[in-house]
Amino acid sequence: MARANNRTGRMPSGHSAGGSRLAARDLRLAYDKRVVVDGLSIDVPDGGFTIVVGPNACGKSTLLKALSRTLKPASGQVLLDGEPIDSYRSKAVARQLAMLPQSPIAPEAITVRDLVGRGRYPHQHLLQQWSHEDELAVADALSSTGCADLSERYVAELSGGQRQRVWIAMILAQQTDLLLLDEPTTFLDIAHQYEVLELCARLHSDGRTLVAVLHDLNQAARYASNLVVMKEGRIVASGLPGDILTADLVESVFGLPCVIIPDPVTGTPMVVPRAAPHP
Amino acid sequence: MTGAASTDAPARPHPSTLRIGVWLSMPVRPRSLLIGGILVVALIVTGVLTLTLGTLGIALGDIVPTLRGERQGRDEIVLTAFRGPRLVVGLAAGAALAVSGALFQTVTRNPLGSPDVIGLTSGASAGAAAFGLLWPGLLPLPVGALLGAFLAMALVFFGTGTGFSSPSRILLIGIGVSAMSLAFVQWVLVRAGREQATVLATYLNGSLAARDWNHATTIWAAIVILIPCALLLSRRLQLIEMGDEQADALGARSSAARALSISVAIGLATAAVSVAGPIAFIALVAPQIARRLSRSAGPNILASALMGAFLLSLADLLTQQLPLDVTLPVGVLTAILGGIYLGVLLFAQWKKGTL
Repeated sequence: MARANNRTGRMPSGHSAGGSRLAARDLRLAYDKRVVVDGLSIDVPDGGFTIVVGPNACGKSTLLKALSRTLKPASGQVLLDGEPIDSYRSKAVARQLAMLPQSPIAPEAITVRDLVGRGRYPHQHLLQQWSHEDELAVADALSSTGCADLSERYVAELSGGQRQRVWIAMILAQQTDLLLLDEPTTFLDIAHQYEVLELCARLHSDGRTLVAVLHDLNQAARYASNLVVMKEGRIVASGLPGDILTADLVESVFGLPCVIIPDPVTGTPMVVPRAAPHP
Repeated sequence: MTGAASTDAPARPHPSTLRIGVWLSMPVRPRSLLIGGILVVALIVTGVLTLTLGTLGIALGDIVPTLRGERQGRDEIVLTAFRGPRLVVGLAAGAALAVSGALFQTVTRNPLGSPDVIGLTSGASAGAAAFGLLWPGLLPLPVGALLGAFLAMALVFFGTGTGFSSPSRILLIGIGVSAMSLAFVQWVLVRAGREQATVLATYLNGSLAARDWNHATTIWAAIVILIPCALLLSRRLQLIEMGDEQADALGARSSAARALSISVAIGLATAAVSVAGPIAFIALVAPQIARRLSRSAGPNILASALMGAFLLSLADLLTQQLPLDVTLPVGVLTAILGGIYLGVLLFAQWKKGTL
């Protein structure tokens, strides 16, 4: 059984600082016949925190699915370390790239530790179902998300914020360099939204590459090192939030007249709507 | 449920792990082991009672000599021709139905997703009705049942438009196919004369009466081959529980795992139905009881198998020994027993607030 991956997954593995382990070329993504994304290319900067924003149904979640290989492109390619992602074995991809979908399902009667342990699947095989590395990776994931105290609790008993931290712990247990998160703050109250975002920021500063889909522009502008703005299946702008987030862009993409002022706490751009748009 | 012990040492090994050298490591749950042990004991007790009770019963002390073939005459005939095959078939058919139910329930992520509900068992009934009453003599009843089960599953497969990849479509189409099959059975029964209908009704409830060693070989071959397949799939099934997208992201290839699991489940259920008729409720109830007793997520293949074997052999013991003026088909009892037990468990969990 090929075990070519490096278990820590943190090493740059031959890629320069400005590189992109994960990229997409000329993606065309469709559900059955309905084309959602067409002609999209993206380079995910290594070690960056890329946040994708855009109006509803602009294809941002669909893009994340394609990048994580859970949706097969109608045409075009997703590249991982320069090779087409579907040329790898599924488990080999899962050792390099972890993805948290928008609404994963917590199985009935599962403890936090068991759920987080399931993130170890790509590192296990038939005879090695629970190694010392698995044990350490789970303990590590639990403590870095502040879930160590919850480990014996049932997931069903947890609050929404705790549950989301547990899910993030599960993909951390995968020990991948690349983390993709689809709307990780949905369904959380505002304090827990920032808790999750701070956790993401910490993972980013630890050297991981993150890609997240978010709805809140101000949160995106505050945390992103690379902001990607999508509209109707295309990327209309990408770069540092301070460079690209202008009132014109927000109005043309979201149809929302606004002014942009510096965030009084972080100095990042902050979108203030002028008035509610008339229906 | 407050005050869960907060652990300061998260590196403490939680699921006790079985390790042999560096090449084998398996998580082991003490609770699952305990439940398994209790079920094995319960199975042995049920088996011994099945052989010893009643007018034909073999005396307790004579069981071992009879098994060794040291005793001739009445005991030997009871063991080899009456109760022995019946018990052996019942154990294996119960296990097969339960594992089939566990697989279906896991891949559809729905406790109702069992062969009873999605049309496999009713398809088998329709097959039996067709070849028992409509075209009698064309095929043996069990083969007819097998054909009906396969036809029903083929209808589900093509009816969904996406094969076996979408859980909700499998359930919806399955319930439709099940209803159509039962309507067909009713139509056949109404057309048939009263006597014929009574004979068929026994089969349609599922029965273990008058089984022989051919039945035993069929069903044991099925479980010896297919239950290990189910075990091999069970880790990927654990991931499918978290949703297909999450399973795919972890490298479990959910569509392929689902299709394989359903094939294994169909194989197990049809084998059981072909030797014992469409016995109700075991596939639906046994995995649920096993899961609640062992309190662990995942398909719980082995616990389900033991629970199914226990439930069916217990029900069959009761049909043989209950002082009733008619001999009930075992399927009637499984429905009653299973229903009561599931109800009690659900009620207990509801009271505890863990439902």
